[in-house]
Amino acid sequence: MTISEQREQGRKILHISGSLDTVTSPRLKQALGENLEGVSELVLDFTDLKYISSAGLQVLLMAHKSLKKQEGQLIVRGINESVREVFTITGFMDILQVE
Amino acid sequence: MRGKKLGMKVMAGLLFLAVILMLCTCLAVGGEYLKEETESYNQIAFSYARTAAEYIDGDRVLSYLKTGRKDDYYRQIQDFLNASQGQTDLKYYYVFVPCEEDLVYIWDAEREEGACPLGWHEAYMEGGREAVREIYRENPPEKITITDDAEYGYIASAFSPIFDSRGEPIAVVGVDLSVPKIKRALRYFIHTVILSVAGVILPAMGAFYAFMRKNIIAPVRLLNEAAKAMTDSLEMENPFRADIRTGDEIEELAGSFEQMSVELRDYIRRLTKVTAEKERIGAELDVAAGIQSSMLPCIFPAFPERQEVDIYASMNPAREVGGDFYDFFMVDDRHLAIVMADVSGKGVPAALFMVIGKTLIKDHTLPGRDLGAVFTRVNDLLCESNSEGLFITAFEGVLDLVTGEFCFVNAGHELPFICRRDETFMPYRTRAGFVLAGMEGTGYQADSIRLNPGDKLFQYTDGVTEAADGSNRLYGMERLAKVLQENARRAPMELLPAVKADIDAFVGEVPQSDDITMLCLEYKGRTDREPEILTADAAVENIAKVTDFVNRQLKRRKCPAKVQNQIDIAVDELFGNIARYAYGTQGGEVVIQAEFTEDPPAVRLTFIDRGTPFDPLSEADPDVSLAAEERQPGGLGIYIVKQSMDEVFYEYRDGKNILRISKNFCEERPEIALGEKVPGVEDREFMGVGGKQI
Repeated sequence: MTISEQREQGRKILHISGSLDTVTSPRLKQALGENLEGVSELVLDFTDLKYISSAGLQVLLMAHKSLKKQEGQLIVRGINESVREVFTITGFMDILQVE
Repeated sequence: MRGKKLGMKVMAGLLFLAVILMLCTCLAVGGEYLKEETESYNQIAFSYARTAAEYIDGDRVLSYLKTGRKDDYYRQIQDFLNASQGQTDLKYYYVFVPCEEDLVYIWDAEREEGACPLGWHEAYMEGGREAVREIYRENPPEKITITDDAEYGYIASAFSPIFDSRGEPIAVVGVDLSVPKIKRALRYFIHTVILSVAGVILPAMGAFYAFMRKNIIAPVRLLNEAAKAMTDSLEMENPFRADIRTGDEIEELAGSFEQMSVELRDYIRRLTKVTAEKERIGAELDVAAGIQSSMLPCIFPAFPERQEVDIYASMNPAREVGGDFYDFFMVDDRHLAIVMADVSGKGVPAALFMVIGKTLIKDHTLPGRDLGAVFTRVNDLLCESNSEGLFITAFEGVLDLVTGEFCFVNAGHELPFICRRDETFMPYRTRAGFVLAGMEGTGYQADSIRLNPGDKLFQYTDGVTEAADGSNRLYGMERLAKVLQENARRAPMELLPAVKADIDAFVGEVPQSDDITMLCLEYKGRTDREPEILTADAAVENIAKVTDFVNRQLKRRKCPAKVQNQIDIAVDELFGNIARYAYGTQGGEVVIQAEFTEDPPAVRLTFIDRGTPFDPLSEADPDVSLAAEERQPGGLGIYIVKQSMDEVFYEYRDGKNILRISKNFCEERPEIALGEKVPGVEDREFMGVGGKQI
């Protein structure tokens, strides 16, 4: 998994490629921990994400809660069919803001 | 109070009778007495009247009326009247001349005070003139007239005319009798009658009542009380006790009652015993039914480790224990035997024979042995122990899981239905041998047919086709073929309940008359004989290694990318769990087996570890409708696996956690229209068909 960071119209965007699983999710957690401070809107670009497992979901949930606490917003975009299926099964489609 | 009713009724009846009797007596006797008394007064009164009338010289009477002077004759008559009055109970005894205006007294006996003097005028009483006219008639009726006069009181009068020398009536002799005397006499008489009648009837009545009481009322009351007491003491030695010694029908009735109560008690005791016996037999039959049903394999999936075959069977017994049975078992590592049989008759005898038959067939079905030889031998053995003339229709088949060759033998049983992949269920004509246990020495020959992957076989007993509805129509082969065809694409576990539901709909409320037993076998095809195996240390770092191992296999078999992603997630979740929790800190090995089928294309992954026993499927599913704030981390992983895999299976066996997942490559199979082939399952486009398009 690789994480690349970019800015776009004042928004912070994290581009994730590969897969979010038991092994890789701690790295996203760490990257988010560094990037969440004082952010009002964080976009996770999943265009190149193959799949996500429950470990990845936990990181997303944590990030969502943290941002909500500081009145920020977590946005997920570009999800493929596999990620969408997992989001649907687990009810995350209703929790996250998916573009 | 109920006990007193009869006595009171009898008493009231007797009293009523006595009153009626007294009234009748009084009326009859009193009336007769009154008549005679009146007659005797009549005679007395008229004899006095007639005596005076004949004695008195009528010619002189007119001179007394005219002159008003009394002479010797007058005084002589006066004395005569006075004397006569004194002798008898006459109140008045007088002579008067009826004139136009009034009547004039000539004589009046003087014994009573207020006697009228000669020439005393007195007005006629009401009807007086008419009475005089009546008296003056020839031969007047001699009947006393009773009048109620304010001056003279109640008087009964008799009159007789006095004639002059020319024979003309000139005056009237009147005799008045005091009526109260008659009345008093009558009253006295009635009192006497009532008293004497009462004096006789009441004691007689009392005696009669006492008699009734002793001989009828008391015994009946005793009978009643004993009968009432009997219901409470039916269990006792002599439940009906009534000491009645009347020597008549009541005593006889009591005797009959006593006998009846003893018989009733004995009957109840017998019935209680029989009921208890029946309950015991019922309980034993329940146990027998339990034993019988436990003899039939009933755990499904029956062979979870066998992907080549899917089997399901069911039996609905008509009575507590039935004569139908099915069986299936592995003959050896690659041969599966199925048996469907129906013992003639029903109930316990059929069930006992069924046990023998089932055991013999299973025991003699040995690897490599010809099924014809099996049935020939079983038939001979059954004939030896068949004293009751029972027989069994049976069908046995053995499927080679590798080649799909299905050998079978039929001993008078129904034809099996075979459904070729994507075709229809058809009855398959078999060589039908004679029934088992029918004739010793019967030879049986086996046949064989080749099953291809996806083919199904349905076998049943006549309880299915001969299920009858309210108007005694039978379910029949045609309807069975139709419902099988409608559900041909269902898995065996769904097919049989669908058939049973159709049978239930057909028979409606009619009670089931025969066992309904069905079995369905689906040959799913050959697996690669040797699974791919990877052994890895239980560590999170090895997830990639396992995923690579699985993906290599999947790619070789052209697994669609979406399914591959799902399987990768499952590997991540399951292996991740084992790596973190199975061995604690000590570490250990995990064996991963990958098995594949080609038709339909499917993968089966098995994770085996020797760590702490843990069934991930026992965990409750997380609530995925909760908001983010309420979510707890964890629990989602196994839930995702359960949702995305076709089958997840766990068992702990021989010290090993065995966790198995299965996934069909063309996952949308149930939604494909009949006969339609799935176009290019590996295309990415297809991946959206079953899911939700963005």
